[in-house]
Amino acid sequence: MSETLRPVIGQAIAIFIALALGTVVIMVVGESPILVFATLLEGAFGSTERIAGTLLQTTPILVCGIAACISFRGGLFNIGVEGQLFMGGFAAVIVGIYLPLPAGLHMLVGILVAMLAGMAWIAIPAFFRARYNANEVVSTILSNYVAVLLTSYFTIFLFKRPGGWSETAPILPSAYLPELFSFSRLNWGLIIGLALAVAVQLYFRHTSRGYSVSIMGQNLKFAEYGGVDIKRHIFLVLLASGAVGGLAGGIEALGVHHRFMEGFAPGFGFDGVIAALLANGNPIGTIGAALFFGALRSGSLLLEVDTNASREIITVIQALIILSVSAQILMRRRGDSTAAERRWKF
Amino acid sequence: MAADVKVAAISGYFAQGFGQSIVAGLNKAKDDFGVEVKLIDTGNRALDYEEQFNNVAKDGEYDLVFVMGWELVDALTKAAEAYPDQRFIFIDGVLDSDKIVYADFSEEEGSFVTGAFASLMAAKGSAIDGLGDGKSIGFVGGRDIPVIRNFLRGYEQGAKAAAPDVAVDAVFAGTFDDPAKGSELTMALYGEGNDIVYNVAGPTGEGVLQASAAADKYSIGVDIDQCDVAPGHVMASMLKRGDIAVYSLIKDEVEGRTVKPGTYSFDLKSGGVELLMCPQTIDMVPEDVKSKVSELRDAVINGDIKITE
Repeated sequence: MSETLRPVIGQAIAIFIALALGTVVIMVVGESPILVFATLLEGAFGSTERIAGTLLQTTPILVCGIAACISFRGGLFNIGVEGQLFMGGFAAVIVGIYLPLPAGLHMLVGILVAMLAGMAWIAIPAFFRARYNANEVVSTILSNYVAVLLTSYFTIFLFKRPGGWSETAPILPSAYLPELFSFSRLNWGLIIGLALAVAVQLYFRHTSRGYSVSIMGQNLKFAEYGGVDIKRHIFLVLLASGAVGGLAGGIEALGVHHRFMEGFAPGFGFDGVIAALLANGNPIGTIGAALFFGALRSGSLLLEVDTNASREIITVIQALIILSVSAQILMRRRGDSTAAERRWKF
Repeated sequence: MAADVKVAAISGYFAQGFGQSIVAGLNKAKDDFGVEVKLIDTGNRALDYEEQFNNVAKDGEYDLVFVMGWELVDALTKAAEAYPDQRFIFIDGVLDSDKIVYADFSEEEGSFVTGAFASLMAAKGSAIDGLGDGKSIGFVGGRDIPVIRNFLRGYEQGAKAAAPDVAVDAVFAGTFDDPAKGSELTMALYGEGNDIVYNVAGPTGEGVLQASAAADKYSIGVDIDQCDVAPGHVMASMLKRGDIAVYSLIKDEVEGRTVKPGTYSFDLKSGGVELLMCPQTIDMVPEDVKSKVSELRDAVINGDIKITE
């Protein structure tokens, strides 16, 4: 079996097991699995509008997934994408409201500031990982809570518009990320995400620094021995990952919501990490995984209305996928001889 | 009878106080009139809301769609424009759009009576077990949003009307989902001499009620009967009868009085809001407090007292 095909088959088995177990869960709650899956499909792809809705859901998962991929490639685990998304979204909205610029330029500056915010948010965990080898999993997870609550605090106490929900004023139209079609909120964020996936893939394949990062991800000691400046690379890889996390927030803020509010985009950071895991850290594969999760989410919205099954069924299916994928990773790691080799590898 | 009436309700709060009371009203309507009821849980992702409204309204399947939650306002307003024939009923206040039906609760009236009750009790001071100097009473709000401000407005004016010397100390938790924060704020309020604290904070408010038991002080519940959360420490509950509103709107529809866009008021007079003194503590409430509270309540109902903006 070829080396590229094997992981694809492994993931397909993981999804199959998850769906099979999901079917059992659906039967246990007394719904017909055929009806549930048919409704999911109808909700995700039943019409042009629904396909656009699916792609709308796919966009943040894809961009967050790419952020996770970048860190995975370097053997690092950025689980702080959620926090970077919130910080990026918030920063983009502040630029959108308070920094009047010509249309187009305004949007670009907003996107750029979102990326800087995401980068700034991961800078502390990245510094301590690079300098003192502090586990980035813990520090990035913790920074998620701080980001979500901090942006919430700013929104409520400093930038809340009078009346209404806890949300900021709307951004100026000059900062809007343009929509692709008139009938959907689907916007250029999707194109940015797709282009970024291709660019990141090419970067890792065809540049020497990309190669250094991949080598570092596969075998840290070997990379160090080969002359890769490990500390610097760790720091930069995490910063790049954080910037893309911030970008995801900027896209949601400028392309979809046009404002920041409490509960801005909860969970997309984690969905992205799962999509990247399912894709084995491959940016192109992440497109497919993100589309899969986007379709599940979009379909589940119709499921909630048209059947007696709860929207949460898909959360169960997602969780089952995580379980089977992690089981696979553990099995793969069993072959590693030393503790030092037992790390996240993609 | 129009047994073919179908209603849906869309919200992220069916499991919480006010949401529970709406579900109770829907279920009662289902039993009494045989209407079909569909509950749609929105979850907490803003990205999903618009699609969910589209899914509900697309076939015109539901005669009435009840909507609860301020985070849905944006999506609701868009859906009301996109589906002009779909009647949406917003149960949390009144918005700008004239295409929507509003069930408007006079929470300020119920809170006025609550404020009067709390301040009169506090003014009794140490004559009542567990009360101190009675200079002020407390208020813990969830988020700082218009509907919660309405509660506070009524509470302050009621306190002032009943016992002008008693001040109101109000804080906002900034969240409806953090009981620990509610407890913490309440302990701080108790520390500053507010012996009775009124919670208008959903699950955060559970923490307020529990703090009253822990500190051996007093609290007041909201939306639904919360007397049992901390028996003997919850003095009263300000009921916001979502069940009555939902039921009576469905009843109008079923009996041919078609519900139309505009505002339907649920106030003290119609029983949409009311103050329930808890049975566990009612014996410690002096008769003169009871009579003064009921006098002020009547004055609000008659329009002798107007609660100002």
